[in-house]
Amino acid sequence: MGVTCVSQMPVAEGKSVQQTVELLTRKLEILGAEKQGTFCVDCETYHTAASTLGSQGQAGKLMYVMHNSEYPLSCFALFENGPCLIADTNFDVLMVKLKGFFQSAKASKIETRGTRYQYCDFLVKVGTVTMGPSARGISVEVEYGPCVVASDCWSLLLEFLQSFLGSHTPGAPAVFGNRHDAVYGPADTMVQYMELFNKIRKQQQVPVAGIR
Amino acid sequence: MSGVRAVRISIESACEKQVQEVGLDGTETYLQPLSMSQNLARLAQRIDFSQGSGSEEEEAAGAEGDAPDWAGAGASADQDDEEGLVKFQPSLWPWDSVRNNLRSALTEMCVLYDVLSIVRDKKFMTLDPVSQDALPPKQNPQTLQLISKKKSLAGAAQILLKGAERLTKSVTENQENKLQRDFNSELLRLRQHWKLRKVGDKILGDLSYRSAGSLFPHHGTFEVIKNTDIDLDKKIPEDYCPLDVQIPSDLEGSAYIKVSIQKQAPDIGDLGTVNLFKRPLPKSKPGSPHWQTKLEAAQNVLLCKEIFAQLSREAVQIKSQIPHIVVKNQIISQPFPSLQLSISLCHSSNDKKSQKSATEKQSPEDHLYVLEHNLHLLIREFHKQTLSSIMMPHPASAPFGHKRMRLSGPQAFDKNEINSLQSSEGLLEKIIKQAKHIFLRSRTAATIDSLASRIEDPQIQAHWSNINDVYESSVKVLITSQGYEQICKSIQLQLNIGVEQIRVVHRDGRVITLSHQEQELQDFLLSQFVMDLKVAVRLWFSFPVTSVKIFQKAMFYKIANGVIFVDHSKKFSGIKWKVGTLFIKWSCLCLHLALAYYDFFPEQNFDLKCLQTNYKHKEAITSKNVYLAFETFHFI
Repeated sequence: MGVTCVSQMPVAEGKSVQQTVELLTRKLEILGAEKQGTFCVDCETYHTAASTLGSQGQAGKLMYVMHNSEYPLSCFALFENGPCLIADTNFDVLMVKLKGFFQSAKASKIETRGTRYQYCDFLVKVGTVTMGPSARGISVEVEYGPCVVASDCWSLLLEFLQSFLGSHTPGAPAVFGNRHDAVYGPADTMVQYMELFNKIRKQQQVPVAGIR
Repeated sequence: MSGVRAVRISIESACEKQVQEVGLDGTETYLQPLSMSQNLARLAQRIDFSQGSGSEEEEAAGAEGDAPDWAGAGASADQDDEEGLVKFQPSLWPWDSVRNNLRSALTEMCVLYDVLSIVRDKKFMTLDPVSQDALPPKQNPQTLQLISKKKSLAGAAQILLKGAERLTKSVTENQENKLQRDFNSELLRLRQHWKLRKVGDKILGDLSYRSAGSLFPHHGTFEVIKNTDIDLDKKIPEDYCPLDVQIPSDLEGSAYIKVSIQKQAPDIGDLGTVNLFKRPLPKSKPGSPHWQTKLEAAQNVLLCKEIFAQLSREAVQIKSQIPHIVVKNQIISQPFPSLQLSISLCHSSNDKKSQKSATEKQSPEDHLYVLEHNLHLLIREFHKQTLSSIMMPHPASAPFGHKRMRLSGPQAFDKNEINSLQSSEGLLEKIIKQAKHIFLRSRTAATIDSLASRIEDPQIQAHWSNINDVYESSVKVLITSQGYEQICKSIQLQLNIGVEQIRVVHRDGRVITLSHQEQELQDFLLSQFVMDLKVAVRLWFSFPVTSVKIFQKAMFYKIANGVIFVDHSKKFSGIKWKVGTLFIKWSCLCLHLALAYYDFFPEQNFDLKCLQTNYKHKEAITSKNVYLAFETFHFI
């Protein structure tokens, strides 16, 4: 697990999501990355059931249950600003049992699917974020394998991102902010994805032309 | 008592006199009671002498009736009777009858006395016994004893016979019971070795390895039956066992896995015709009952089947560069290009038919026992793994599988890490690797041995290490010259024989990897021989020279034990010498070596370097401190 940066690629003007993705992947292939299969990251939302809420009527917390094909045997559960749990895939079955406490928000499943490219020590994943049948955006994830400390390799990552994202290079992710010198883990990646999905959810829907 | 008035009792004697007559004036004349003697007379008259003692009762009855008479004289009726009797014999006094009776008694007594006295004399009268009923004949005491003994003996015999009969009955019962009990005790012994369970009225056992971790789907149940065809009348055979086991029909006979390596490539048509040779059954321990051998053989068959099933499954599923061929009971694979490894399951049943057909015995020389043993070990390893604590989950609710696999979820392992966890090698791959290694090792040994026998000088020594791995062995090869072993230590090669390659580590640190080709190793070793020929220590041949004579073409050096003459080349520069002829009288090993080397390379120039510059060619010739030094140089 190396340091990972998850960012969103805005859809190019006048083009659909698909076309933008194709653009990106072509750039990567020209760069010399080799295709290594597909990936998928998905997220489901649950909120704490009303029965467990206190009498004060505090807002129910939202819990996100995510899966990442990079860690096929794991399941991630996280709260917005809270802890992230890494569990076995049996966790999904457990959620069914906890129906009384956590209710799934309707139509909240959001996922990103795409291809996985390996370029020396870098692992690049370009995926289409879809919610239901509609494509909402593009996610780009870059992982630098050898390093596990964010502060050491952020500049290198940034440079690499610039090389193929150009002007759409993101700033340092929020997860790096607090814990510069701490060891980076898969949970941080999932937090980044969660933030990305939330952002995309709030965005307006991509114009009709983008829906395929 | 007090307060009760006394009762007056008046007593009147009952002895009243009898009234004789009542006078007219009312006076009563009483009879005088009888006097004592009158009474006695009266009583005496009443004695009836003719009556015996039998009439005592009547007498007594009569006497009782007389008692009140005796008490008082009131019984007038009796008196009257007596008086009447008395009056029958008038003029007789009351004692008359008594007297008569006594007299007659006396008479009779006298007569009796007389008779007795006459009879006693036995002169005139004898007594004859009166014939009576026939008494039992008077017996001899011996016969009596005999007969009594016989009787008593017969009685005793009866008792004994009864007892014996009871005993025999109990003994026969015991015997039957013993057979019964034998069955139970045999069953107990069986139970100590094998798992048994009772299903209905049958006793079934389990001879599979399922409880030891096997996943083979064979049921492996055998049935225990009671051997009841025993005839109590006939003699029980020595190896009789009241217990018999019935094993499943497909596990009968004996089996083993034959692993062999052949050099030639087979024809496709020859496949599947593996000749089985019937391995003689391993001798069972002398004390073990026949069911033990039977069950062990069946279990062995089951294990061999499992091994073969696992191997053939892997042979079909696993992709490899050269596909494995599975034909009937044989798996053929090619570890090396010209090599064929065949693994076959040889199962010979105990039928007589098959015994006849299996008389043609293939030589078992090409069967690799080591690999067969290893196969057994590997499958047992696999069994143990399924049961090991690494597999058994803690807590019990966790899913089955390797411990690290269970952790891979919570620790977010990625694909590379997961792949590294999963053991990728199957049984077949392992056994092929082992076979490759064995083959490579044996071929290396053969190469070294052939070289050693072919080349006499220098010598090659091989020290094989005793402790080897299944996939790696090592041998240390020394190339030395005879007599110079301590000096020529420079060629030492460590050969690490792996699965497909041989890695050579030189003494000077160079590492060379050779492939499995036999020729490569041979060439390499030969090159090392040549190196050795060049390698030697700096040998100083120095001889003090007594006199030197220089001729046009040669120089003669006279030394202590002979002469060395050297002819020098025209290019003599003082340093470079061409050794033309060296003549020595004595056998000096060093010099001989130099000669030998020179012989070996006749055409080449041997560069001789005189290191000692104290050899000055001309100037020092006359001095006695001239040393002629030859040195053969090479790289050490």
